[in-house]
Amino acid sequence: MKDINKKTGLARAKDIYNHRSKRARELKAEGKKVIGYFCCFPPVEIMTALDFLPLRLLGDMDEPITVADGYLPTVMCIFYRSTFDLGMKGRFDFIDGFIGAHACDGAERTSYIWSNYIKTPCNFFLDLPHVDKGEAVSYFKGQLNYLKETIEGLAGKKLDIESLKEAISLHNKQRQLVRELYYLRKPDPPLINGSEVLQVMISIMMIPAEEGNALIQEVIDEVKTRQDIPDKKNGRLLVWGSLIDNIKFTDLIESSGLNIIIEDTATGTRPFWHDIEETEDPLDGVARHYLQEVKCPRTFAETDTSYKEDLENRYSYLKDFAKYWKVNGVFGNIIRNCDIHGYEIPAVKDYLESLGLPVLIIEQDYSTASLEPLRTRFQAFAETIG
Amino acid sequence: MFYAGLDIGSTITKVLIKNERKVCTTVIKPTGAEHRRLANEIMDEALRKLNLTTANISYIVATGYGRINVPFADKQVTEITCHMRGINWLFPSVKTIIDIGGQDSKGIKVDNGKLVNFVMNDKCAAGTGRFLEVISDLLGVKLDDIGEISLQSTRPTNISSICTVFAEQETLLQLSKGTSIEDILAGIHRASASRIHSMVKKIKIEKDVAITGGGAKNIGLCKALEERVGFPVIVPPEPLITGALGAALIASEETKKISKEELIEKQLKRRWEAVTFFDEKPTKG
Repeated sequence: MKDINKKTGLARAKDIYNHRSKRARELKAEGKKVIGYFCCFPPVEIMTALDFLPLRLLGDMDEPITVADGYLPTVMCIFYRSTFDLGMKGRFDFIDGFIGAHACDGAERTSYIWSNYIKTPCNFFLDLPHVDKGEAVSYFKGQLNYLKETIEGLAGKKLDIESLKEAISLHNKQRQLVRELYYLRKPDPPLINGSEVLQVMISIMMIPAEEGNALIQEVIDEVKTRQDIPDKKNGRLLVWGSLIDNIKFTDLIESSGLNIIIEDTATGTRPFWHDIEETEDPLDGVARHYLQEVKCPRTFAETDTSYKEDLENRYSYLKDFAKYWKVNGVFGNIIRNCDIHGYEIPAVKDYLESLGLPVLIIEQDYSTASLEPLRTRFQAFAETIG
Repeated sequence: MFYAGLDIGSTITKVLIKNERKVCTTVIKPTGAEHRRLANEIMDEALRKLNLTTANISYIVATGYGRINVPFADKQVTEITCHMRGINWLFPSVKTIIDIGGQDSKGIKVDNGKLVNFVMNDKCAAGTGRFLEVISDLLGVKLDDIGEISLQSTRPTNISSICTVFAEQETLLQLSKGTSIEDILAGIHRASASRIHSMVKKIKIEKDVAITGGGAKNIGLCKALEERVGFPVIVPPEPLITGALGAALIASEETKKISKEELIEKQLKRRWEAVTFFDEKPTKG
């Protein structure tokens, strides 16, 4: 592997985090094609198997939204407005393909508008059912076939089963490494802080899977033997909700008397917590994984039971997280106008408080300029825990 | 031994110095655009009143919106915890605190002297002191007088809006209709109380309820809130100072937690300089 600046581990992650498209542009210059995708539902395995670099499309909390508001209503999720804004400003002008997804209504709307206004050469919209059982799985598998056919056209070759299987095991390896990294946060204080983990997580979504795997391994080795671990703090925090993709936010939280221990978000555990099962037709395993195992309130895990059982059914994984990582508080992060997570608040809060966990809910503006006023809330929350 | 609490609010800066038994002195000054930098002078003033020097103060806790970078504070604690501690010391029976500050308002829940829950207004001036300031300016009445004036109202007008800018427009409309200032102000206080009440309701209002902050100095607002809450509320004799009092109480507790050597080391680190805001290293939280 060629690494031009020769940085390794955390320093490399920081570098990739700061220059997110740098590696993609380098690879593009070497002839590799890049596919940008929305949220954690388009299967990266299919892209990797066809020799594409999958690149997660994110917004930028540092960049004021100036262009997107002419295309998308301001009552919509600010994260997707920001992502689209960057697209309109040419931030992703190097990508060869764009895969939008019905992750939520905001993502769907943005996907269509993206293919209309941003001239990415190849566009695909991945439909994703809201339920996760029965025919929904076969329907979703059908959609994955359409996705495959579309990007086969861009690749100029057919997807062969063996490369897909290899890609699945490569990405499963990544999932295992991410979990290993998260286990390093179990001690008190954790061996690695939330901002460092975020830098690693963002990085692996911007570079090829093999390089990502090598990076996580380097970080794990570095962190295990490091001396300068984070300070012990009052709060050990579980972050639940909309994604966080800027370390200014995690820095603010962690300078307010809280250590971030685990994130149940779309840039945290969600894409990585379960491996894809090896099935005879690999697409079966892929379809089931993305529909059933990527935990996001956008998919209804229906139950015909009592409210209490329903909560248990939907959120018991949060109880397991809280127990294993010994968290003593939960931050419910809602990006303003994120209906998917917003509507979930009463239930998730009920459930977590019944476990004796204090919950802090903040609806934030996805802008670093408006972060500082949140400091008092985080610090006071830490003081209630302490 | 003396302990100091310094509460740099968005509008007013308060200093309180106490010893083991009682509050020795308090100083209350506007924060202002430049004055906030001069929190050290306000601190000096308090010390002069007691004939003390900085070295006599065992521990200094900074709180309030300006707490982040106080070069002479030994610790920073949020105003939420500090108001809670201050009120709990004054009125141990209080379970719900409504703090109405210059630029924000908060609901605070106390249980056995511990902070258990809180809620703060989002980015909006409605339901804060700033809202009342804007309206009193518009009506040409002194802020200190609007509460008393509103009590003389016979037919309070309905100010429906929850937005400061729109409320301003509604006020102008009422003025042009010939509505009396008393009735307009009564409506304004009701609108403000309703906004604050619906926010604090989220953390469940339990008896006893105390009101703190500048808003508590406004009798019209307190009465309107009492009406909303449905039972009498407690207003401390000096509602501006409860945050600084809580900070001083925490200061005396912190002193006991650490050794004499550590204390001296902390005191040597204090820099007697103006307070800066967010561009420097924060005081250790």
